[in-house]
Amino acid sequence: MNQPRTGRALLARLAVSLVTFWVIVTAVFFLLRLAPGGPFDGERQLPPEVEENLRAAYHLDEPLVVQYGRYLGMLARGDLGPSFKQKDFSVNELVASGAPVSLTVGGLALLLAVAGGIGTGVRAGLAPGSALDRTLMGVAGLGLALPSIVVAPVAVLVFAVLLGWLPAGGVDSPAHYVLPPVALALPFLAAIARLTRGSVAETLTEPHVRTALAKGLPAGRVLRRHVLPVALLPVVSYLGPAAAAMLTGSVVIEQVFELPGIGRYFVQAALNRDYTLVMGVVVVYAAFILTFNLLVDLAYTRLDPRIRLGGR
Amino acid sequence: MTSNVLRRLWIAVLLGFGLSSPTGAALAAGDVLRLGNAGEPETLDPHRYNLRLEETILTDLFLGLTTFDAEANIVPGAAEGWQVSEDGLTWTFQLRPGLAWSDGEPLTAHDFVYAFRRLLAPDTAASLAYFMYPLANAAAVNAGELPPDRLGARALDDRTLELTLERPYPYLPERLLYPTGYPVPRHVIEAVGDDWVKPEHWVSNGAYRLADWQPQAAVTLVRNPHFAASGLQAPAIERLEYLPLASEQAAYNRYRAGEVHAIGAFPAGELPTVRERMPEHLRLSPLLSIMYLVFNTRAAPFDDVRVREALALAVDRRLLTDRVQRAGHVPSPSFVPALVSDYQPVPEPGADLDRPARLARARALLTEAGYGADRPLSITLRYVSGTETKRTNLAIAAFWREIGVETRLHQAELKVHFADLRQGDFEVAMAGWFGESNPEHYLGLWESSTGDVNYGGFAHPPFDARMAEAAGIADLAERNAVLREAERLGIARYPAVPLYSVTVRRLVSPDLDGWRENPRDAHPARFLRWR
Repeated sequence: MNQPRTGRALLARLAVSLVTFWVIVTAVFFLLRLAPGGPFDGERQLPPEVEENLRAAYHLDEPLVVQYGRYLGMLARGDLGPSFKQKDFSVNELVASGAPVSLTVGGLALLLAVAGGIGTGVRAGLAPGSALDRTLMGVAGLGLALPSIVVAPVAVLVFAVLLGWLPAGGVDSPAHYVLPPVALALPFLAAIARLTRGSVAETLTEPHVRTALAKGLPAGRVLRRHVLPVALLPVVSYLGPAAAAMLTGSVVIEQVFELPGIGRYFVQAALNRDYTLVMGVVVVYAAFILTFNLLVDLAYTRLDPRIRLGGR
Repeated sequence: MTSNVLRRLWIAVLLGFGLSSPTGAALAAGDVLRLGNAGEPETLDPHRYNLRLEETILTDLFLGLTTFDAEANIVPGAAEGWQVSEDGLTWTFQLRPGLAWSDGEPLTAHDFVYAFRRLLAPDTAASLAYFMYPLANAAAVNAGELPPDRLGARALDDRTLELTLERPYPYLPERLLYPTGYPVPRHVIEAVGDDWVKPEHWVSNGAYRLADWQPQAAVTLVRNPHFAASGLQAPAIERLEYLPLASEQAAYNRYRAGEVHAIGAFPAGELPTVRERMPEHLRLSPLLSIMYLVFNTRAAPFDDVRVREALALAVDRRLLTDRVQRAGHVPSPSFVPALVSDYQPVPEPGADLDRPARLARARALLTEAGYGADRPLSITLRYVSGTETKRTNLAIAAFWREIGVETRLHQAELKVHFADLRQGDFEVAMAGWFGESNPEHYLGLWESSTGDVNYGGFAHPPFDARMAEAAGIADLAERNAVLREAERLGIARYPAVPLYSVTVRRLVSPDLDGWRENPRDAHPARFLRWR
């Protein structure tokens, strides 16, 4: 492997990621302010002098370009600003308090989805067309078709309200971390299972696998050395955005289970026109997506010797 | 190999299920009282607050000059009594002896003066600063035109506070109930600035003080040991947790799973189930509120009073609340809610007609205004999106179809909806007004000088004249009589169609004693105790 070229290519990818990040931040900044309604609109009337006081306190009385410059400056210092709505907290404090919850739930879900999805997919893919394959893929199809918004409330109803085995919401004990990751993981698990299955079944028919088997290598070794590295490529590229989505918190899961994570801010802050908080969660989410995409690219070069960063 | 991992994982998951105990048993009476609140507070600074759900917590944290009893009647709070001058402009309050902050510092009339000045200082950017505009010079101070020391509030001594008003305002004791009238700890704010609201710096003068705040998870309050010094009844429950349960369904689930002792709302569709299976938990209480349809009177077709009257007549409130919504809401034929005290609201003129007569008159009015089968009236009705609101507005469209009116429904999220209404960008729309127990609070929406919450731009000089007359009267009964005359003049011009007063659907644990239904839906925790 040509190390200097990989290093340069990595730097180039990093630069592209940073530009993408800036484009996202800029687009969201201006789009937000184009949306009708502002952070201080509500059902109650605000006298003009009161509204002026509020706008001045949050620098909304300045020209948009000045506000944008101010925001970029703060962002460069790692300051996400004060929340417009959660007035007693800064956006940094809100993200710091919510992220651990989202990361824990998302991390557990990620483990579950990867282990369960790949396990199921390999099982089914090794015997394409068998009864086992059809059963597993039928179940996975169901998992894909049922969105969290359906699965999660049903899970709460059955396991919390009817059976009383698990709490319905909140994060007070380890038992609170069972239902949310499971409900969050299911659709991802199903998607990974289907991807793996198709990819394994296809790889089995490739010449290098048939050669390995013909040489008399043990089946387990062929699976590990010759089938999985190739078969997992599409799974790995799927995992980039999927991991970012799980780790930064699901709006639906956090609402249904009343989790104090950051996923809920995506919707709530946007509805509140809490400009800084929306920007804050977008920054976090964009950082995750870009990081994971970079990791996926790196993983590719590990798994498939034919691929090199920046290589031909 | 992988299937082994999978098997182990499933075992782990199953163990997880088996290990957890039934949560219902975890919540025993006697320790922490866990209350579902309608959402996450935006702030606990009483001068910066904006929401009812914040009022709920602030009521436990602070004590104003006046306060609630268990039924939410207005009673003396930090003030043990007050006198009003003949002209209604000067109010003198005597504070209770021995008042103290939760850190033991004495609380004096000077703290109230500081608080009122802080509320109205432009830098505080208090969105509800105008609640205290009845104070002399308040609006000018808030606009930065006068210095804060020109405000109509001064301490005559440590225990005597004098408030001077701009104009007579007999509803002042009610206005002082709101957090905008609470004192704030000057000695802490001057030391730590805006961080005074953090639990580690928190000082307040209510029955409880702030112990912890985990965003989106819980606000924890503990008993304030110095509250009893005020002579008011000390709370029985040591510790409170307010949980932000914004979703009615989630609140309902967590209540049924035994994780909270009381919730503020549950899905309307569950009302029959709750009535049948857990009637001892159900608390229905009508709230001081009016939900109404507002017409944009600035432009055709609703600049024509005949069209407004026709559409008002076609609405069947009883059918709407009892058959369509079935949420226990109370139909209101008047714009001022029936629950407002010391006042007899004026119903809409056609309120006593039966349905066929109302429809016949509505059709005749539309014909007179130039609409009919060959030229049907076609309008857009706006509302805030939601399943309950959608059903309500579909029903209203159906009422109007009966008189040949075509209605397009337009839903929008709350912010956009009210921004549109304020800009007058609508034909007819659903709106609501909550809160006080005085007629002026509601009728003020129709004054031509009111500004953008007079969404429809209603202007009727005789109505305005009565309102202005009432504003100068210090005697409550006399003032309300003039307001009643104003309401009669206003409703006859149909600026709005009053629909119903909201009924709050709560679930409260039967283990709790002292919970009394009341029209303000205020339930200070200091009146609650375990059975």
